[in-house]
Amino acid sequence: MTTTPLLEIRNATRRFGGLLAVDDFSGVVQRGERVGLIGPNGAGKTTLFNLITCFTPLSSGSVRFDDSDISSLKSFEVARLGMARTFQNLRVMPNLSVFDNVSIGALGAFGHSPVAALLHRRGYAEDISRRTWEVLERAGLQDVAGELAANLSYGKRKYLEIARALALSPRLLILDEPAAGLNDTETAQLGQFVRQLSDEGLSLLLVEHDMNFVMNLCERVMVMASGRKIADGTPQEISRDPIVLEAYLGSDIENEGEAA
Amino acid sequence: MRRKLSILVILIAVLVVLPGILVAVGGGYWFRVATTIGVFIILTMSANLITGTTGLMSIGHAGFYGIGAYTAALLATNLHWPFYLTLPAAGVVTAFFGILLALPTMRLIGIYFAVATLGLGEIIHLTLLNWVGFTRGPMGISAIPGIALDGLFSASDIVNYYAVALAVVVAAFALGRLTHSYYGNALRAVREDDQCAASMGLNVVRLKIQSFAFACFFAGVAGALWAHTTGYISPADFRFSESILILAMMVVGGLGSLPGAIVGAVILLGLPEVLRPIGDYRMIVVGAVMFLSILFLPRGVLGETSVLAVMRRQFGLAWDNVKHLGWRQ
Repeated sequence: MTTTPLLEIRNATRRFGGLLAVDDFSGVVQRGERVGLIGPNGAGKTTLFNLITCFTPLSSGSVRFDDSDISSLKSFEVARLGMARTFQNLRVMPNLSVFDNVSIGALGAFGHSPVAALLHRRGYAEDISRRTWEVLERAGLQDVAGELAANLSYGKRKYLEIARALALSPRLLILDEPAAGLNDTETAQLGQFVRQLSDEGLSLLLVEHDMNFVMNLCERVMVMASGRKIADGTPQEISRDPIVLEAYLGSDIENEGEAA
Repeated sequence: MRRKLSILVILIAVLVVLPGILVAVGGGYWFRVATTIGVFIILTMSANLITGTTGLMSIGHAGFYGIGAYTAALLATNLHWPFYLTLPAAGVVTAFFGILLALPTMRLIGIYFAVATLGLGEIIHLTLLNWVGFTRGPMGISAIPGIALDGLFSASDIVNYYAVALAVVVAAFALGRLTHSYYGNALRAVREDDQCAASMGLNVVRLKIQSFAFACFFAGVAGALWAHTTGYISPADFRFSESILILAMMVVGGLGSLPGAIVGAVILLGLPEVLRPIGDYRMIVVGAVMFLSILFLPRGVLGETSVLAVMRRQFGLAWDNVKHLGWRQ
C-alpha cells in the first residue's frame, strides 16, 4: 500500500504573456479521493486542468502522477498512464457513432497499430470491442451505440464523453464542469453515476460551478481565485471560510477586478 | 458469407465482365480509358486516406504520384528492372519521400498544412522538370518497357488492364482494412478533433505520418502503373492540376469513403469519354457535375463527412491559438 498521493501539483505556474493564469499552485489528489476545484470565472481552473493533462506546458513547477514526474510528457502519454479527462465545451466527435467515439478511449488504452488492422488481428479487435461495450453499458448508452454522436441529446453526450474517458481505464478522472447545462434531475443522476465510479476506486478531480453538486459529491474542495489557491478543505470548512466568501461575493472593487 | 459473396461478385465484375464488355465495344482505346480510370482510382483512394479519413487537406498528391512514376521509369529504363520489382520499389521510395517531406509539416494544422502540401507538390514537379541530367526534364522518359513476363505474356492493352485492375483490388483491400477497423477509428478521431484524440491517448503525429506513408506508397504504385502502361511520362503528367482533379474525385465521390473514391474517379474520367459525341461541350457537363454535387450532395455520393465540415475545421483550427499561429504545439 503506497501512501504517496496519486496526483501531486507542485508550485505550478503558467504565464500567458503578461497574464499569470496559474500562480504557484500546489495541491494533491489522494488515491480514491473525490476532489472539487471551484473558483470564480477566470480563476484559472481550466488552465490548471490543461497543465495537469500536459495540454499546455508549465512555465514553472512540476506535476507528479503516481510517483513519477509527468511535466515533460505529451498529453497522449499522460492519458496512457491513466489520466482521462472530459472537456468544458463537450468535445464528442459528431460524425462518429457512439460506439466509435467510445472505442477511441479503448484505442488509447490498447494502442493503435496499422499492422493489426492490415492483418485483421482478432484478439486485438475483440479486446477493444469488449472494453467499449463494457463502458457503454456502464454509462447506459448501449441502446444508442449505433447512433451518430451528433444525434444524441445534450445530457447523453455528457455521458458519452465520460464513457469515452472511462474506456481508457483511468485511475484519475478529470471532469471539467460535468453538470453544466443539465437540469436538477440529470445533475443528481450524474452525481450518483460519478459517485459509483469513485466507490469502485477511481480518483476524481472536477471543476464545477454547481455548488450543491460539489458539496454533496466531493470529500475535499480546493478554491482558486486569480490563479492562486486560496483555500483547501472539507466542503464544510470551505463554505464557512471568509476568504472564499470574499472571493465569490467580492468585498471590494479591487478583488472583483482581479477575479473577472 | 454475404461479405465473401459480394467480394466474389466484385472480382468477377472487374476481372471478367468488364474486360468482356470492353472487348465487345472495340477494345483498344477503351482499355486505355479503363486503365487510366484504374490508376486514378488508386490515387483517389490513397489521397482519401489522408484527406477523407485523417482529415488533412493534401493538395500535393500528384507530386508523390510523379515520384512513383519516375522511380519506376528510371529503374526500368536504366537498370532494366522488371515491372514486378519496379512497382513495389516505386511504392517504397514514394512512401520514404512522403515521410521525409511530411515530417516538418506534421505539426502544421488546417489550411497551413494544405498550403505546405501544395508547395511540396510544386517542388517535386519543378525538380522533375529541371533536373534534366537525371529526369531528362521536359523531354520526359520514353520507351518505358510495358508490363510483360518472358514466356508468359507480353505487353498489351489487356495485360495492362489486368495489372491495373489487380492493383486496384489490392489497394482497395489494404486501404479498406486500414480504414474499416479500429485503426481507422483512430485516424477519424484525428480528423474530428486532434487535441481530443491526444487526450484519449492517441499518438496523433504518428497517426498522421502513418496515413501519409500508406497513401504515398499507393500513390507511388499508381505512378509506376502509369509509367509502365503508357510507356512515356513527362513532368506535365504530375502538375498541380492533377492534384486538384484527385481532390475533385474525392469530393464528388464523398470524403472518407472508399467506394466513393471509385465512384468519383469513374464519374470524372468516364463522363468526358461517354460524352465525346457532344464535342467540347462535354467538359462543361463535367464541370456542372462537380458544381451540382457540391451544391446538392455536400457529403458527396457516399461520404461520411461533408466537405464543408472539413473545410471549416481547416480554416477554423488555424486561428485556434494565436500565439502559435498555424502550429500545434
